[in-house]
Amino acid sequence: MENLNHLPTIQSLRFEELYLSYENKDPILSNVDFQFPQGEVIWLKSSEGAGKSSLLQLLAGLTVPTMGKYLINEDDVSSMSFEEFLPYRLSIGYSFDYGGLISNRTLFDNLMLPLVYHKILDPESAKLRIHEVERRFDISKHMQERPAHVSGRIRKLICLIRAIITWPQVLLMDDPSVGIGLEAQQILFECIGDLRQKGRIKHVFISSYDEKFIKMFNPTIVHLEDGQLYLDNNELDNQVKKVVNI
Amino acid sequence: MSLIFGTIDSMGRFVTRNLLYTYRVLIMVYLSMRATILDQAQGFRTIFSVISAQIYFTGWQALPLVTVMGLTTGSIILLQAMSNLTMLGGTQMIGSFLIVMLVREAGPLLVALVVIARSGTAVASEVGNMRANREIEALESMGINPLSFIVFPRVLGGVISVICLAFYFNFIALIGGFFATRLLHDMPFTFYSDSLMSAFGIEDLWIFLLKNAFSGMIIFIVSCYQGLLVKRSPHEVPQVTTQAVVNSIIFVILFNLTVTALFYLKQLMQLGVI
Repeated sequence: MENLNHLPTIQSLRFEELYLSYENKDPILSNVDFQFPQGEVIWLKSSEGAGKSSLLQLLAGLTVPTMGKYLINEDDVSSMSFEEFLPYRLSIGYSFDYGGLISNRTLFDNLMLPLVYHKILDPESAKLRIHEVERRFDISKHMQERPAHVSGRIRKLICLIRAIITWPQVLLMDDPSVGIGLEAQQILFECIGDLRQKGRIKHVFISSYDEKFIKMFNPTIVHLEDGQLYLDNNELDNQVKKVVNI
Repeated sequence: MSLIFGTIDSMGRFVTRNLLYTYRVLIMVYLSMRATILDQAQGFRTIFSVISAQIYFTGWQALPLVTVMGLTTGSIILLQAMSNLTMLGGTQMIGSFLIVMLVREAGPLLVALVVIARSGTAVASEVGNMRANREIEALESMGINPLSFIVFPRVLGGVISVICLAFYFNFIALIGGFFATRLLHDMPFTFYSDSLMSAFGIEDLWIFLLKNAFSGMIIFIVSCYQGLLVKRSPHEVPQVTTQAVVNSIIFVILFNLTVTALFYLKQLMQLGVI
């Protein structure tokens, strides 16, 4: 039985005069006012090392901005405590570009943890949901292994599945297609498509260099460049950028 | 003149750095307690496995080493005490001497050193590797507070283990030490046990609990804190582990010294000396 009724519906994600920088490095975001498009698949695009992963971490609430506001439903979440941010956090799924699996738990337990810790599902329903996904990705035989005992491909897949298994409203994926193979890419695309169609996943953010994979989603492009975010309203191949003023 | 100012400067920096470090560690203690209390999803069952694993690794697996250490320390102190007290004509003081030396002073310190060497290093490197492998971030992304899920159960398990190990150490040192040196002396066991029982007071129990509980807390909090200092790279793990050992030893020794000093100050005040 699903228990997500107490979670708020995420309607808007917005930055207001937001700065994000790390010590001795160029700022990743500098005085950014930006409203992310809603209900779409967003492709975060930038040059290497511009800070796409940091931007995704900021959206996931794993990094706090240096200055300014990160507003979800017009609530400034950057100043919230862990407990205050929890309802939003449970509505966000995040998959890492590498690592991130709990090494002393089996792959099955890694998937069970987000479902049963906050009682999103009862253990039996959680098992059923995991079995369904593992069959779909054909990874059932690995589920009782620990992360160190399986290939990088399986680890990456589990990390991606863990992000979507709670059916979050916002899905953030950092380089999801790297190392999982074409077949798994197709299954992942179909999984996300199914959940979007059912209205479970509403907003998807993907950072990737894999144009072939990302084009399957027909995404809206958001460029991160020189500490600013730009929305690209045109076709994928049209690289004309437009500054968004809120 | 510049040499004097330079020395004062470096001393000031040393004190400030250590005060800041202590402040940060205390903040982590507060935050992990707060997170544990506020975390409604985390029942005792969730953290029970971590607490029991910590007790198993820190307490149970350390028993052989603590047995050897307790026996040797107890035997050495007992033999030295007997030979010297006999010369001074104070054999009946043997109980008081052993309680002071073992229960109050050597026991908490030696057990703490064993726990730092075995478990403090293990916890610091485990948490450091979790950090480098982004497991801590993963927990946060799932809405699980690492301070209540990782830090609190390790500290609680560690404190319980240290208290149990210290009790075991004292028992082995006092009783085992007596029988291990049986061939070298002719003291009747009834005399020895009566002397111990009459020397043991309630303040010894308080000092035992205070020193061991806080030593356990210091070791595991410092180790977790150092582990969490790792940023991204696994090469930082050995560095934070070494620092965890150094800081734990310094803090435990300072704490033991402070408790001993305060206790004897209190005794001197009761005697009217000061």
